[in-house]
Amino acid sequence: MKIHINGVQKTYSTLRKKTEVLKNINITVEDREFFVLLGPSGCGKSTLLNIIAGLEPMTGGELRFGDRLVASVNKKDFVQPKERNVAMVFQNYALYPHLTVFENIAFPLRIARAGAEEIKSGVEKSAEILKISGHLQSKPAELSGGERQRVAIARAIVRRPDVLLFDEPLSNLDAQLRTATRVELKKLQRELGITTVYVTHDQVEAMTLGDRVAVLKDGLVQQLDTAIGLYERPANRFVAQFIGFPQINLFETEVKNGAFSLCGTDFPAPAQAPSGPVWAGIRPSDLELNDAGPLSGRVDTIELLGRDAVLYVSCGQLEFAILSERKDFREGDAVKFSLKQGKAHCFPR
Amino acid sequence: MKEETLSSALTFVSAGFMAVFSLAPFLYMFATSFNASPDYLTGGFNFTLANYKDVLGVKSLHFLDYLRNSLIVSFVSSVVTVLLASLAAYAITRLEMKGKAAILLFVLAVSMFPQVSLIGYLFRVMTELDLINTYTALVLPYIAWILPLALWILVSYFTQIPKELDRAAVIDGCSKWQVLFKVLLPVSLPGIFSTALLSFIFAFNEFIFALMLTTDYQSRTIPVGIALFQGLHGETPWGQIMAASTLTTLPILLFTLLFQRHIVQGLTRGAVKG
Repeated sequence: MKIHINGVQKTYSTLRKKTEVLKNINITVEDREFFVLLGPSGCGKSTLLNIIAGLEPMTGGELRFGDRLVASVNKKDFVQPKERNVAMVFQNYALYPHLTVFENIAFPLRIARAGAEEIKSGVEKSAEILKISGHLQSKPAELSGGERQRVAIARAIVRRPDVLLFDEPLSNLDAQLRTATRVELKKLQRELGITTVYVTHDQVEAMTLGDRVAVLKDGLVQQLDTAIGLYERPANRFVAQFIGFPQINLFETEVKNGAFSLCGTDFPAPAQAPSGPVWAGIRPSDLELNDAGPLSGRVDTIELLGRDAVLYVSCGQLEFAILSERKDFREGDAVKFSLKQGKAHCFPR
Repeated sequence: MKEETLSSALTFVSAGFMAVFSLAPFLYMFATSFNASPDYLTGGFNFTLANYKDVLGVKSLHFLDYLRNSLIVSFVSSVVTVLLASLAAYAITRLEMKGKAAILLFVLAVSMFPQVSLIGYLFRVMTELDLINTYTALVLPYIAWILPLALWILVSYFTQIPKELDRAAVIDGCSKWQVLFKVLLPVSLPGIFSTALLSFIFAFNEFIFALMLTTDYQSRTIPVGIALFQGLHGETPWGQIMAASTLTTLPILLFTLLFQRHIVQGLTRGAVKG
């Protein structure tokens, strides 16, 4: 199912003020795509997801599932969530506490008045896919957080929805479980082939899960690209900072005659870089220790990440984070380093 | 360690005091109901079951009629009250609506009228409607009188239930009514049971309305009935009054024990991360 989000706006009005949560969102989610909406809290990503689900009306634009118009500014175009055939997984699971796991998963089928046989086989199949067959007679309260989230996912897929929506589903799980569930989720989506929209504020989740990622901020799409595209070709300073760990180095400088200068050394600016004041962005992984220089400085701090370390090196007024495989440094050590060819980004300031 | 001992001692003493303070009248009532002497404090204790035999056996006391009336009136009042209150609480907590706070405050304000100020008017209305000495004459004012309390309890209960649950239900295909009946009400069952029980007790204990709006055993409820017990020779029949009172506490006790399982908190545990 292809999802067309055309010029969607959302404004919340109270007596005192109007808040524009979504300003003008244009996104096309491809059929069977795993699409991620990424952004800091308050960027409007959950609102957009609710609009796709049909939990909230929009105040501008239109939404189409395939060719079918499911919502627009016009109230009469609004298609109820159940007629959109969407399913949703919530951050806090939202299981029905009075029902067993079996009945929780069966709930959408029961509401749709499915037959007893269909319900039984549907629930068993979903439970098997999510590996919770052993818990069908338990109540949600008896399950761990990870198990509860599996039940919530089983409930979402039992109806064979056209669109699967996830609202930060892994945020409540501990780090280890989150990673494991992430991998399984990706696999599950591939197997089911259901168009998926996934909301998160975690860039690692976005990068690992998404076929494509839309970065949202202040109600606008900052950039829409593949994960690697966002990392290698950030459209602006915000995206550059938001994506990638360790965070990108950003320095105030100026582009003159196709070059910018850092610590007294000139570097060629990217071809499309504007002239004048810019933010120069350099990923810590694009800096390498190099006895030939041209940059040099002193190590302020070392952060060990395991295989690598992040060196914080001060060079005059500037501090560079450098990703290094060598870890045998001490604070105060003098190091020389260089910038990999063609890896600098320049954003207008 | 010392602090713990102190705090548990304090808990024990204060809990003990409260228990004695509130249970003493019941103990007195209980003891007097089994006493043959008219005044337990001065006449000494002589065990007897005669008071109970009188209360249950003497037709002219109408104890069982009063009890039946009370049970019917209280049951109908509490069921209707809870039904109305849950619908209202659902609308107030879950539907988009202007002036929710105003409604709640208005309802609260209405419930502040003292009963005495209403009774004269109520008497005239019920007379006009020819409802004096009927169950309806009691059930209607009881519903109006208890509804604000029930509404406030249920609103606060519904507010605690995470909205994601409603959203999940809507996504799963529920209409607004189905959200209420298939999710919200079952999840808030403990709250609804305690509200129903509380409403029942309120109606069961109510005195002034029942005194003014009923005239005889056909619809008179038990608090009034007992208060108007007459001894054969004009004296106050303490023994029978106490026996009747003891018997009257039984239904309430029974209901509380019966619904205790449903009243325990924490059924919402497991709905969301917790």
